[in-house]
Amino acid sequence: MIRVSHVTRRFGSTTAVDDISFRIERGEIVGLLGLNGAGKTTTMRMLTGFLPATSGSLEVGGFDVLEHSLEVRRRIGYLPEAVPLYREHRVQEMLAFQGRLHGLPRKEVRRRIGQVLERVGLLDRERSLVGKLSKGQRQRVGLAVALLPDPPVLVLDEPTSGFDPLQRIEVRSLVAELALEHTVLVSSHILPEIEAVCARVIVLHRGRIVADGRQTELMDALGEARARVEVAMGPAPEEVRGLLENLPCVRRVEDRGVSGAHRSFDVFADEDVRGTIGALARREGWTLRELSWHPPTLERFFARIALDLDPQEKTIRATAPTPPGAGDPT
Amino acid sequence: MRGFRTIFGRELAGLFLSPLAWILLCATFVYDAFFFLYALEQGTGGEVNGALYYMHEGPFWLLVVFLPPLLTMRMISEESRSGMLEFLLTAPVGDASVVAGKALAATAFMALAAAVLPLFGVLVGLLGATPDWGQLVAQWIGAVLVSCLFCSLGIFSSAASGTPLVAAFLAILANIVLVFLPMLAPFLARGRLREPVEWTLDKLAIQAHFRGSFLTGALDSAHVVFFLSWILALLFLSVRVVETKRWLV
Repeated sequence: MIRVSHVTRRFGSTTAVDDISFRIERGEIVGLLGLNGAGKTTTMRMLTGFLPATSGSLEVGGFDVLEHSLEVRRRIGYLPEAVPLYREHRVQEMLAFQGRLHGLPRKEVRRRIGQVLERVGLLDRERSLVGKLSKGQRQRVGLAVALLPDPPVLVLDEPTSGFDPLQRIEVRSLVAELALEHTVLVSSHILPEIEAVCARVIVLHRGRIVADGRQTELMDALGEARARVEVAMGPAPEEVRGLLENLPCVRRVEDRGVSGAHRSFDVFADEDVRGTIGALARREGWTLRELSWHPPTLERFFARIALDLDPQEKTIRATAPTPPGAGDPT
Repeated sequence: MRGFRTIFGRELAGLFLSPLAWILLCATFVYDAFFFLYALEQGTGGEVNGALYYMHEGPFWLLVVFLPPLLTMRMISEESRSGMLEFLLTAPVGDASVVAGKALAATAFMALAAAVLPLFGVLVGLLGATPDWGQLVAQWIGAVLVSCLFCSLGIFSSAASGTPLVAAFLAILANIVLVFLPMLAPFLARGRLREPVEWTLDKLAIQAHFRGSFLTGALDSAHVVFFLSWILALLFLSVRVVETKRWLV
């Protein structure tokens, strides 16, 4: 449904997006992650045809974004980060305007207005002035505007900014519902949201794709799962560490130092090793205060990429499909 | 020009939803009424056609220099800042429809403001005077064409400027230059070049084209084409500037 092939975008001497390639299939919901200035918004703007790419090609629904711009625009519902709305209009007028821009018949526009307002939970605000709504409500109107023409592709740039925690949960489940009928590309820097909604993530860093794949596979590739062990003081730390390192599936052990009357260790392993550590503790007569398992999170993964990884050297790619003819962006 | 009507309707509604438009309309009414009564009582001794001629020859030009920039200043520059332009340029409508829809919405508003003088004509007609209806209609058509030209210039300025205030200032400056174009000849060229420059500026003079036809009640297609050429050229340039914005965002 979406095909991005070797796309670069420069602003003067700054390269905002640097030779990225990816492909999104129909019905997929993909999270675009990255720090501020990583190139998320630029990528989305190029997909919607607002910004031309300096080089490379983008396709939506089989249409080239530059050559068949109007066909692409008909197929995309776009919610920009700034949520552009005419504040002097009523909610229904704003939605009707979007319907007319997309050439929908009047009857169909009326029907869709009811549907989308119900979907975003603003049915009682149909006659309200946009300028009188709260920031969260305006965000939801923006989402309703993007949904109104029922486009096959939704591009949502930071759709939950301005929402309170409860609204975030609502929008998260709404976006998950949308994925049943639409292909969704959603950007956010709030990682738990992407973690909860998107099976696949594309991570941008300094304009380059540094990771692309299903979350679980990316976590496996990262290998950051660990058990936290707190042992009462007594046995020599080197001895404990050595015994833990010799357990099956353990990659490495880090001594986290003394905390009160206990010493903490992080045991990095390929699978949950709490059972084998418990058995070892019983055998060796250690007193444990804590034995817990911490699977890797997207947050940790992202922090690792943003802080440690040099994108020039390493790209994490799991099972994301590569567009035919598009090279691997490593 | 897909979506032109939608953009035009939205912009016109947007104008009437803002207090500025109503203030400008009321101010135009009061301004026209003041000068019309003055012309009727002092200038023409009660001759209606003379008063209407005077209105279109003098006071009208002050309005047309200042009103279109104030109407158009926000249309692109403000929308570019607020993100509305991004919304419109990613909707399935062409850039030309967006630009033309906005320019013609401002023109429609100006057409309404220019209709104040024909309205005065109707009122004095009801009181027993005999206005030259043909001349009045021609004057109104001319006023709308001149307004459309200045609205297109305002849209161009709005597209090329970063803020509405700068857009309005530049457009007013450009309007003044256009209105007084023939007077610039002595400053632009001397000696042997002066004559051809004067001739060129005379041909481009907007006031002369208005006076030569519409003001006297003659609808000459050459003058209509003159105004339409200016309008199309300015709209074309505005579309190009909007397209350029995509590269500079």
